[in-house]
Amino acid sequence: MGGVSDTLGTNFVTTQLDKLVNWARKSSLWPATFGLACCAIEMMATTMPRHDLARFGMEAFRGSPRQSDLMIVAGRVSQKMAPVLRHIYDQMTEPKWVISMGVCASSGGVFNNYALVQGVDQIVPVDIYVPGCPPRPEMLMDGIMLLHDKISRGEYTAGRQAV
Amino acid sequence: MAEWVAAADWPEKVASLTGDGWWLADLCGLDTIGLYGGAEDNDPAKRFEVVTQWLHRERKERVTIHVPAEGEPPTVPSIVGTWPEAAFMEREAYDLMGVVFEGHEGLSRLLMPDDWEGHPLRKDYGVGKIPIQWIPQPVMQVDAPGQAPDSGDARQEVDHLGQARPKAETS
Amino acid sequence: MSVPETVLEALEERGHGAYVESAEDDHMILNMGPVHPATHGVLRLLLELDGEIVVRCQPVIGYLHTGIEKECEDNNWRGAVTCVTRMDYLSQLFNEQAYCMAVEELLGVEVPPRGKWIRTMMVELNRIQSHLVWFGTQGLDMGAISAMFYGFREREVITDFFEMTTGYRMNNSWFVPGGTWDDLPDGWDRAVRSIVRMMPARIDEYEELLSTNPIFLERTRGVGAISRDDALQVGATGPIARAAGVDWDLRRDMPYEAYGELDFEVPVRSDGDVYARYEVRIEEMRQSVRLVEQLLDGMPAGDHKNMDPKLTPPPRAELNRSMEAVIHHFKLMTQGFTVPPGEAYVAVESSRGELGAYVVSDGGTAPYRVHVRDPSFVNVQSIPVMAEGGLVADLIAVIASVDPVMGGVDR
Repeated sequence: MGGVSDTLGTNFVTTQLDKLVNWARKSSLWPATFGLACCAIEMMATTMPRHDLARFGMEAFRGSPRQSDLMIVAGRVSQKMAPVLRHIYDQMTEPKWVISMGVCASSGGVFNNYALVQGVDQIVPVDIYVPGCPPRPEMLMDGIMLLHDKISRGEYTAGRQAV
Repeated sequence: MAEWVAAADWPEKVASLTGDGWWLADLCGLDTIGLYGGAEDNDPAKRFEVVTQWLHRERKERVTIHVPAEGEPPTVPSIVGTWPEAAFMEREAYDLMGVVFEGHEGLSRLLMPDDWEGHPLRKDYGVGKIPIQWIPQPVMQVDAPGQAPDSGDARQEVDHLGQARPKAETS
Repeated sequence: MSVPETVLEALEERGHGAYVESAEDDHMILNMGPVHPATHGVLRLLLELDGEIVVRCQPVIGYLHTGIEKECEDNNWRGAVTCVTRMDYLSQLFNEQAYCMAVEELLGVEVPPRGKWIRTMMVELNRIQSHLVWFGTQGLDMGAISAMFYGFREREVITDFFEMTTGYRMNNSWFVPGGTWDDLPDGWDRAVRSIVRMMPARIDEYEELLSTNPIFLERTRGVGAISRDDALQVGATGPIARAAGVDWDLRRDMPYEAYGELDFEVPVRSDGDVYARYEVRIEEMRQSVRLVEQLLDGMPAGDHKNMDPKLTPPPRAELNRSMEAVIHHFKLMTQGFTVPPGEAYVAVESSRGELGAYVVSDGGTAPYRVHVRDPSFVNVQSIPVMAEGGLVADLIAVIASVDPVMGGVDR
């Protein structure tokens, strides 16, 4: 599932290729820089020597969404930022995954008011939600590892027609 | 220390403060509905105020000056000419409170999207809370030892108020 | 100082990435941000470029507006601390300190000496923490990526101490009107002593990395200069103003909390360029370490918060013995304390400048109006002054040296 067999049909060769392709995808996910607020600082701390994210092959945060496959929405998404978020998401190439980091991105968080989008899943399809205000670097890494499992199963929410 | 200055005297007051060595620390809007006295004292025309904070570095003093904004829309002369730092501050007060600053070119919204309607920090603008939905989960009552948790043997359900009722027949 | 209206309209019409030419000869309008690796968050800059030279620069903000000031009105006086702390999220305790001091002024209560000293110590550690992030991002934006790793290495040690004390790594809503929520835990002095012993050598290491590096000097000396008068006119405070020659620091000139009893220096430079701001912040880190050492050595004993039962819940043990304690506890937990009507503006010297909290009370259990004068909000207005006339690469250096935190800018 996922990988090659989505496009080439399912048979013995493509399912074995799938495993290879999914392993390659999960081992070097490149996040797009989408740090917004306090969670961005914890995301930066996750890439730093103490909680090293480079061991997952993910220390290369791409500035351009065209070159990245993971968007970690780290922080609160305000009304003015929502169209920008969708714009950047649309510019990413398939396959792409979204981690909603922190409670503000997952559900509006501490701020249930006029200024914030109550949950980034109103705008983009989200694969993994990581709660916390802000989540500890270890929590973000747990979310990333869950995402790795999801990728090796070949699933990505963006492929669904839903949102 | 708080002073009140009429809007018409505001530019003069700012010029005299600046000449005396005061520095503008902050400028913000204030919606005074229900703040000064009871409902009878509240003059709707004088609902909005612009509150400024000044600092004198030599004398190490601070002063707060209130400028009531009158009219509809509430208007106060702008001080951007003397204090360029007030540019963002006045735009924020306009955006969030609706106070118009006369003489401020390019007075547009700063923090909300340009097509936003309403002025959020006013007292009659709600916080915009989305109510949290409590979705009741059916509770299974096990009434015989050894009854499996997933079996359909349970004969009762407990609703969200804690009232037990016979389980609805589904057939 | 701003980009023409027709151009702004064209950009809005065609979307964020549009290529628009201005009416003037061969100038290009470039949109930088809000999603950009070097804008320190969601700052958007509209640039009018003549080749590589920035002719005009207009900041557009509001991409992180969270309505925190409105949210404060919806929480009680103690709960508003958790909202205020998320404004300038790198100097989180400074926000809390300014707000709590303003509420204390309205209440007319005194914080006991130990409470003041604990607050000052936490706040100075926060200053070091914030400057470490600045150091990291300044290096990162110049291409010296290692600076990021060095800065965050020390930041983790201080964050560990914060976690030990307040329970949170960031956004610790730990100060309350009246003092701090809880006392320092056992073993805090060993932890702080190890931080104080470690930092001077590490700051020397940072200076070795960048201060004499010829590339860094080329990119920062003489770049993004702002004069003393311009800095005052545009409202810049903190390291930007001190690097431009304004000899003003609230901690020394209008002392509050424990600063009156402490011994420290305030670095001032006169060039006003990026390198001067760099020097000022490095020196401030050293002075903060000195302050933390004095606070550690002289920490008084006593209460960490004002134990007036109308303000602070009584200790748990008393709830078993006294009915009044139970009633006070109940009232404080359900409604919160009330603050007499009035207004107060109190400012503290945060790592970015003057952070003031203007608090208005109508006599109730919730704030009537909370407005925070955030230093970054005003400092962002100095970016055009510094960047116009320079290259795009200089603009990046300038933004890093202004060190804006968009949570504070947009609130």
